[in-house]
Amino acid sequence: MDALIYTAMSGADRALRAQQVHANNLANIETSGFRANLEVSTAQALQNGYGYDDRHMAQTQSSAITTRSGTLKETGRDLDVAIVGNGFLTVQWQNGEAYTRSGAMNLDENGTLSINGRAVLGEGGPITLPENSSVSIGVDGTISVQVPGSAQMQIIDKLKLVNADASELTKNEAGLVVARNGDDLQADPTVRVSDRHLEGSNVSAVEEMIATMSLNRSFEMQMKVFKASDDMTESGNRLISA
Amino acid sequence: MNPAMWISKTGVQAQDAKLQAIANNLANVNTVGFKRDRVVFEDLFYQVDQQPGTQRADNTLSPSGVQLGNGTHMVGTQKVFTTGSLQTTSRDMDVAITGNGFLQVLRPNGEAAYTRAGQLTMNENGVLVNAQGLPLVPQITIPNNATGITIGENGQVSATVPGNVAATPLGQLTLTNFINPTGLQALGENLFQETAASGAPTEGVPGEGALGKIKQFALEGSNVQVVEEMVDMIAAQRTYEMNTKVLSAADNMLQYLSQAAR
Repeated sequence: MDALIYTAMSGADRALRAQQVHANNLANIETSGFRANLEVSTAQALQNGYGYDDRHMAQTQSSAITTRSGTLKETGRDLDVAIVGNGFLTVQWQNGEAYTRSGAMNLDENGTLSINGRAVLGEGGPITLPENSSVSIGVDGTISVQVPGSAQMQIIDKLKLVNADASELTKNEAGLVVARNGDDLQADPTVRVSDRHLEGSNVSAVEEMIATMSLNRSFEMQMKVFKASDDMTESGNRLISA
Repeated sequence: MNPAMWISKTGVQAQDAKLQAIANNLANVNTVGFKRDRVVFEDLFYQVDQQPGTQRADNTLSPSGVQLGNGTHMVGTQKVFTTGSLQTTSRDMDVAITGNGFLQVLRPNGEAAYTRAGQLTMNENGVLVNAQGLPLVPQITIPNNATGITIGENGQVSATVPGNVAATPLGQLTLTNFINPTGLQALGENLFQETAASGAPTEGVPGEGALGKIKQFALEGSNVQVVEEMVDMIAAQRTYEMNTKVLSAADNMLQYLSQAAR
């Protein structure tokens, strides 16, 4: 068999894998705070020693995320926060920290704030709210509550808001954002939040649909090469058997 | 098979669940004391095919790896406890709660349930019950010759009885609050039940602490915003459509493959 078929195979494999990335982005288009995954393909030359460099395999890489903002939606719920511009909320993940933009916070039976079951971290660790009649979250992430019997708002803690360049961030296996070097990020005082809002995903439906279409056709073309390679081999076989 | 198909399937399924919640919210636009449901999604775990930073040659590390997502996943539904619009009625046994509290009622099985729907009535014994006929806790009995029932902001129920100039106090309505109302289990019939996630109930006199006040001659409408639900519905429908398009693209790819191979 000609080596051509393996080159075509790497292209087809790349299209299949990239399709998975785009399918995942589209499946999460309504997931609040979801950051779209990027997918890139690199050429990898195969040294075959013939003196003629004709085999470049396609290799998919996908570990980068886009950090452009999604649309903000007003929800009116006290415990919903959206980050305005760049930045992330901090949640507890295993023994360390991970970051998310999904700001639909919940309380547990003890009054501890969590997002999808993971404790939200403030500057002093997990945040527990006392019994209160109203909660308010300031633009810098300061959480204050009105305790029964008091007319004044009392400051409880401040959300740990972090920021980093998109190139330094990746996702972990739970879909939470983490630093590429594995370190915890430092709190950034310039990150702003908007309470009673939630941010949608930042997936662009147009981009994803176009990518899906183009990958579909790219796969089809790889199949044509696959077939051409098969035809060539068959012609060779006919010459021998004739 | 092409994994993209299964990933799109999770997207289609999620939108299906979302549409169900939207339909229920819209159906309850005129239900007194109804709190809207919100579906919360999360991306499914990622499959790491190649870890970033693996050694590729001497002194060469792979700059980025391959992480493939597996789609979306419904974490659960959340009841959104924002206050609904208050409407005034002229019925003396309609109450609305302005604030965080719930009225407590006793279910036939002896367990407590909580509600914000304040369309109270009397049963055949004069006991104050909710619209489903469940007695309020603490129980309040209204004498059958009573006229002019008054329910104060602090929950004090009184009525004028013939032959008596001053209003006779009949009892005290109490309100109950939870640290995490979102954790309550919705039972239908506008009722909620305590769960481990909601925390223990704290009972008190209306107007005290975090508990709201009681307003007579008013009802709390549902907190469903029709426009918001309609926009969500359009988004859910189109997302469903786009996910099915990826599904058919993935199917096409498999078709090209089976046509190429013999």
